[in-house]
Amino acid sequence: MLAFVIRRILWMIVLLIIISFVTFMIFSVLPSADPVLLRAGRNASPELVKSITKTLGLDKPWYVQYGKYMQNLVLHFDFGYSYQNNISVRAQIMDRMPATATLAFGAMIIWLLIGIPIGIFSAVRRGTWADKSAMGTALVFISAPVYWLGLVSLYLFSKDIGVWPIFDGAGTYPTSGNIFTNPVAVIQSLILPWLVLAASFAAIYARFLRGNLTEVLGEDYIRTARSKGLGERRVIYKHGVRSAITPIVTILGLDLGILLGGAILTETVFNIPGIGRLAFDSIQKSDLPTVQGTVLIGAFFIIFLNLVVDIVYAFLDPRVRY
Amino acid sequence: MSRRSLRYALVACMMVALSLAVAACGSSNSSSTSGSSGGGSKTVPTGKKGGSVTVLSAGDVDYMDPGQMYYTFGYQVGYSVQRSLYFFSPKDSTKEIPDIAAAAPQISGDFKTITIKIKPNIKYSPPVNRAVTSADVKYAIERAFSANVPNAYAVGYFGDIVGAPKTPTNGVKQISGITTPDPQTLVIKLSKPSAGTVYAAMVMPITMPVPKEYASRFDAKNPSTYNQNVVFTGPYMVKNNSGGQLTGWKPGKSISVIRNPNWDASTDFRPAYLDSWEVQEGNNDAAVASKRILQGQSLVQGDGAPPAQVLQQAVNSYKSQLSFSPSGGTRYIALNTKLPPFNNINVRKAVIASFDRNALRLTRGGAIVGPIAWGYLPPNFPGFKESGGLKAPSQFDYLQSDTGNAQLAASYMKKAGYPSGKYTGSEKLLTIATNADPGKKTAEVAQAQFEKLGFKLNFREVPQDTLYTKFCGVPKSDYIVCPNVGFFKDFVDGSSLLVPTFYGPSIIPANNTNWPLLNDPKVNQLVQTAQGTPPGPKRDQAWANVNLAVTADAPAVPFVWDNQPIVVSKNVNDVNDDYSNGPFMAFLSLK
Repeated sequence: MLAFVIRRILWMIVLLIIISFVTFMIFSVLPSADPVLLRAGRNASPELVKSITKTLGLDKPWYVQYGKYMQNLVLHFDFGYSYQNNISVRAQIMDRMPATATLAFGAMIIWLLIGIPIGIFSAVRRGTWADKSAMGTALVFISAPVYWLGLVSLYLFSKDIGVWPIFDGAGTYPTSGNIFTNPVAVIQSLILPWLVLAASFAAIYARFLRGNLTEVLGEDYIRTARSKGLGERRVIYKHGVRSAITPIVTILGLDLGILLGGAILTETVFNIPGIGRLAFDSIQKSDLPTVQGTVLIGAFFIIFLNLVVDIVYAFLDPRVRY
Repeated sequence: MSRRSLRYALVACMMVALSLAVAACGSSNSSSTSGSSGGGSKTVPTGKKGGSVTVLSAGDVDYMDPGQMYYTFGYQVGYSVQRSLYFFSPKDSTKEIPDIAAAAPQISGDFKTITIKIKPNIKYSPPVNRAVTSADVKYAIERAFSANVPNAYAVGYFGDIVGAPKTPTNGVKQISGITTPDPQTLVIKLSKPSAGTVYAAMVMPITMPVPKEYASRFDAKNPSTYNQNVVFTGPYMVKNNSGGQLTGWKPGKSISVIRNPNWDASTDFRPAYLDSWEVQEGNNDAAVASKRILQGQSLVQGDGAPPAQVLQQAVNSYKSQLSFSPSGGTRYIALNTKLPPFNNINVRKAVIASFDRNALRLTRGGAIVGPIAWGYLPPNFPGFKESGGLKAPSQFDYLQSDTGNAQLAASYMKKAGYPSGKYTGSEKLLTIATNADPGKKTAEVAQAQFEKLGFKLNFREVPQDTLYTKFCGVPKSDYIVCPNVGFFKDFVDGSSLLVPTFYGPSIIPANNTNWPLLNDPKVNQLVQTAQGTPPGPKRDQAWANVNLAVTADAPAVPFVWDNQPIVVSKNVNDVNDDYSNGPFMAFLSLK
């Protein structure tokens, strides 16, 4: 197991280097806009443009720029400074991490609380109208784009512009504090975003679990358990769900990793100042250091959580050994 | 499909249909709401002291540092927390009034020396706390010429100051042409008789004072870190700590603004009714933000404008909460006058004659957003009346019809050597447009109109920043048409609208704004004459002459002098700053 973990950590480092290089190439060698000209402003003289290019270090060859960036990152954990406002990228990411983490974990709890029971229910009641309704609704939520769902939910349920003003709407996430220091305001502001973000995940998990559990409930050992006289509830939960739920762990890790890198669409619609919105704003402004930082953080979480999932899997499934 | 999801689908369909209907039909109503649709004298409501509002913006200010600030939303915040030498009262946005200055400047007879007296009792916010002196304004201008404080317009508008560097300096260097014989006097010497332009430009943030003894340690770094440690002279300030670091500015998130404890109301034309205000950033969906403002309390618009469908709703149901601020510029379709086919003036005139400019205006909201443009000085701007006012002078036959004149267009094409009356070339003309509405819609309508005249376009839609930094702002990119550009004033003088856009020597390799690449010696000469004309009616006429000469060259299809729609919540008394085209925070009050 230890050797496996070490191998995976080393591979994680290699992957992050590759991702940082690809991101760097896309945004510096093939940029959609020129960050120097954006910073210089309209009618800036060629001399000013040259001066800003030098200040930002963009007059150096690309491999020198990349080398300097990696040196600072590895030795000082320094992601550089925003081209736009000269603020430390690391400071911005750390400042926004609580909002993204709260959004991601909160949504995760909701989609597990909704998706798993519905998946179990549908598997046990498969073929009935209840099962068909549940899976039909799940299909709708899987198909609905998050951005659209978010806007519709605002127009229907937000307290300021909604038809039925029930929940806090866009822009209500408190400007200071987090879930630990300002829990009431944070939770109130995130109920609607949690529900919107959780909707499609709950639907996916419900359908996925239903399929797995349906298959597991047809296995011989389940028939054996029933024939031994075990109660149906025990058969389903202790023997069926336990087996069917292990693949859920895998996709849960992946989904959480992706969300911790920033749920861009949800954060943008609901104006939640998280990493996703930071990434969105920095892409729009061709702010390479900030883009690079958010991409690396997102990649780190995906890779790291995949490793965690693989380790947890070994404990859940005794057949898995590394 | 479940009933719930059917309801969602219906709501979405209705929203799409409504927005399409409004965009297609526009409105024939002219605006007459609170605030004003033009500059000139207006009534400014008074209000009760106290309270707080929230500004909903999509983006952040570009900079807090006045030496670098150059974006309208930065101005909306900046001119309520800082004071420049001169500025504009909302009662009359065409006349500068003294702000830090005690009175209008004394300008020497040769127009090469400007002497300004500074008010003696304007104080900085904590932690500086002392009174502003002329040396602070001198330092503010000097630092803007350094590489550490990159300022886009210092050289362009203040480059005639004796000793002003032509290239960014290493660190802040003294400029010999700016002297301060005493703490209340500032003397600026110019190498050319351009005092008219320099005085007009003194409304810009570069003249907001900066205390050298406090700021120099920040300015020693490259780039300067004064941006995170600014001190303020206005009625408000951004929250800071005892060291001066701005704790109230969370870039990309919010700005918390409170009263400046050292502000003296008797020195300022701003009443500063509110106790505080907050900018909430990240409101990227303009429709949601506008609706929140209209239906909520104590909310005002920041950057961005209500989209067409919400604007229509505001006109119909929230009229008292809607006002318009003249953008102080022109929107147009730029034609590259250097490359074929638009290097032929008759082809350009044919295009202008054929265009339905009302259809272009509809893409931005219709008549409600402003009159159809024919020239490049907007209403109420100096030189507008002298140019001929709202109706194009009769010598411009290609600008007489707002909806296009196909016959006239055909006759110009024949003069250009196309006997069929339509363009017969086979090449595709590189046309770069923005990929975001309403500019996207404007470009698509323009595309259809070009094609009616026989042109084939290589039509590309790109993000706005790409449009300007990779294509339309880069002459070497060989674009032929830039179908949704617009240029807006830096200050109230013809030079700020006509020099960057149509003066030959203004063409630069990047971030260029002379998009038609016009370099007509006659226009250039008229510009130089106007620049040297002293302020007053003769200068206005001189810029009108430039405007008419540019229009005669037909470098673009002007289509609207637009007014920026601004919305506020029902309980807010709105007063607009026509310079930044947004609510003037230092004048707002609650009902």
